[in-house]
Amino acid sequence: MNRKLLREARLWLVAIPVLLWTLIPIYHIFLFSISTKDSAFSGKLWPDHPTLRNFGIVFRQEHFYLHHFWNQIWNSLWIAVAVGVLTLVVATTAAFAISRLKVRGGRTVMNAALFTYFIPAAFLAVPMYKAMGTYGLLNSRWSLVLAMVTLASPYAIWVLKQASDKLPWELDEAARIDGATPLQLFRLVYLPLMLPSLVAIGTYALLLAWNEYLYAFLLLSHENTIPLAVGLGHFLASDDSPWEILMATALIYALPPAAIYYAFRRYMVGGLTAGAVKS
Amino acid sequence: MASVSFESVQKSFGATKVVHGISLDIADGEFMVLVGPSGCGKSTLLRMLAGLEEISGGTIAIDGRVVNDVDSQDRDVAMVFQNYALYPHMTVRENMGFSLRLRRESNRVIDKGVSQAARILNLEPYLDRYPRELSGGQRQRVAMGRAIVRDPKVFLFDEPLSNLDAKLRVAMRAEIKALHQRLKTTTVYVTHDQVEAMTMADRIAVVNDGRVEQFGAPLELYDRPVNLFVAQFIGSPAMNIVAGALERTGDSSCVRALGQRWPVETTGGTEGQAVKYGIRPEHIGLAGQGRGGIAAEVVVVEPMGAATELVVRVADVSLTVVTHGRANLRPGDSLSLSPDAGHAHVFDPATGRRI
Repeated sequence: MNRKLLREARLWLVAIPVLLWTLIPIYHIFLFSISTKDSAFSGKLWPDHPTLRNFGIVFRQEHFYLHHFWNQIWNSLWIAVAVGVLTLVVATTAAFAISRLKVRGGRTVMNAALFTYFIPAAFLAVPMYKAMGTYGLLNSRWSLVLAMVTLASPYAIWVLKQASDKLPWELDEAARIDGATPLQLFRLVYLPLMLPSLVAIGTYALLLAWNEYLYAFLLLSHENTIPLAVGLGHFLASDDSPWEILMATALIYALPPAAIYYAFRRYMVGGLTAGAVKS
Repeated sequence: MASVSFESVQKSFGATKVVHGISLDIADGEFMVLVGPSGCGKSTLLRMLAGLEEISGGTIAIDGRVVNDVDSQDRDVAMVFQNYALYPHMTVRENMGFSLRLRRESNRVIDKGVSQAARILNLEPYLDRYPRELSGGQRQRVAMGRAIVRDPKVFLFDEPLSNLDAKLRVAMRAEIKALHQRLKTTTVYVTHDQVEAMTMADRIAVVNDGRVEQFGAPLELYDRPVNLFVAQFIGSPAMNIVAGALERTGDSSCVRALGQRWPVETTGGTEGQAVKYGIRPEHIGLAGQGRGGIAAEVVVVEPMGAATELVVRVADVSLTVVTHGRANLRPGDSLSLSPDAGHAHVFDPATGRRI
């Protein structure tokens, strides 16, 4: 009994600082967003006159930096969803080909793709900019989508390939004998069984694109094409930044990823293959 | 329904040859069992027939049509796997109807096929359940149902009962056999369990080391094994084998082994030739002490009700004896064995062949 208590106490001793470490900045954002401009830097744990006015300013686009707020958040969403879907298409088909169809050279391709992670993404930004320029894609949302799919795919392929490898091989054989073509096998057996991993990887790619700043900043420059992440950066262009409004916008920007993660959390750990084969 | 024929079929994985030119003819409607120790190539043979493995040499024909280069889905065979291989995201109904759905049959045809198979296999109450909600035996029945629905030319079973517990295995054995008697579909069944092979097969092919040792009816294999491997593999408890030399006196023969004379009815072989003498446990009669038989000492008595299994020792060699009914014996008792000459087997120790 005592030993259990001790073990739990030690766990709390680690957990509480970690929790505070993560939550304090978020609380700080929240605090700023409900404060008036004057009290934002007062250093209090709760403002004297909490207000939701900052959110109203953001939603009504009533600030110089926020004239394109709805447009930019739409860009963010459009780009994130496109990256999620495209990454899934690329990674799922690749993982299926490598893991299930055992295409010759498949593993080499996957390893080569993973190898690109040895080069920091920041180093690739300039060649990527050059490439997008060559294809005339600069300042188009597609440039960022393609760049992000490129960055997300190697990891996505690797994760999905690992997950595919765990599917019982007999299912493919049973389907083949049942008369399934590789495409039917992919659609009717592989995809439904991979669903948890697909949701996880789709969410990963989506959040990666949603949170991207560097590439978005480089590839997109027009106020109508940039995502909100870059729009937020513009707040810091002046000496006297409206911090309370910046933080309100940041909080709004942080909500969709949190909601998505919350909605799909069971897929992040779920297993659908129970009962397929005797284990 | 169809016949199946293997013609000098070979299989190599890289430089390793696992099937060395096997030829077998399976008649239309026959229940054929491939039996052998693990790693003998029997499953590989089945998988080649299913189209899941390439054929390295020779030909396999289904209903007279060579299928070497025909895809699995076009061979019209159905397979039941050891681990069931049910689609976990589909209900029993969807699992069983999957092949018909792939063939783009109408819902009416699919429903009819599935409910017919479900009725045969007593799966009707479970049609809307998922595989994870079923017991092992039920899952295996669903796997069989999936095969039946397709009404294929050939059923393939790859050790379908190995994952079930002993009692269920016996029940499913009878169920599969009854199913075959009802459907009369040509069946190829792979197992490492010789009891399964003996009880279910019309004919058995004993496979060892990528070769067929013997192919014939179960009792033919039991009564006249062509070599030592088959003699020892078929039958439970296994055949007793002792090493000795052939001895002829007039027109009667015997084998001199363990300092005793073991009667045989063989006509082959030469005087003094080294042989292996084989006798099944139930072909050794018991007599009281000093009745002119082979003197032995009881080591273990295993009463099983209908029969009694004894382990006896003759000159430091342990032999198994099965006697009907109950034996009033205790460990340490002396007794005299009288092997039945008509059921004794003699093998060449070098080649293992029957003499």
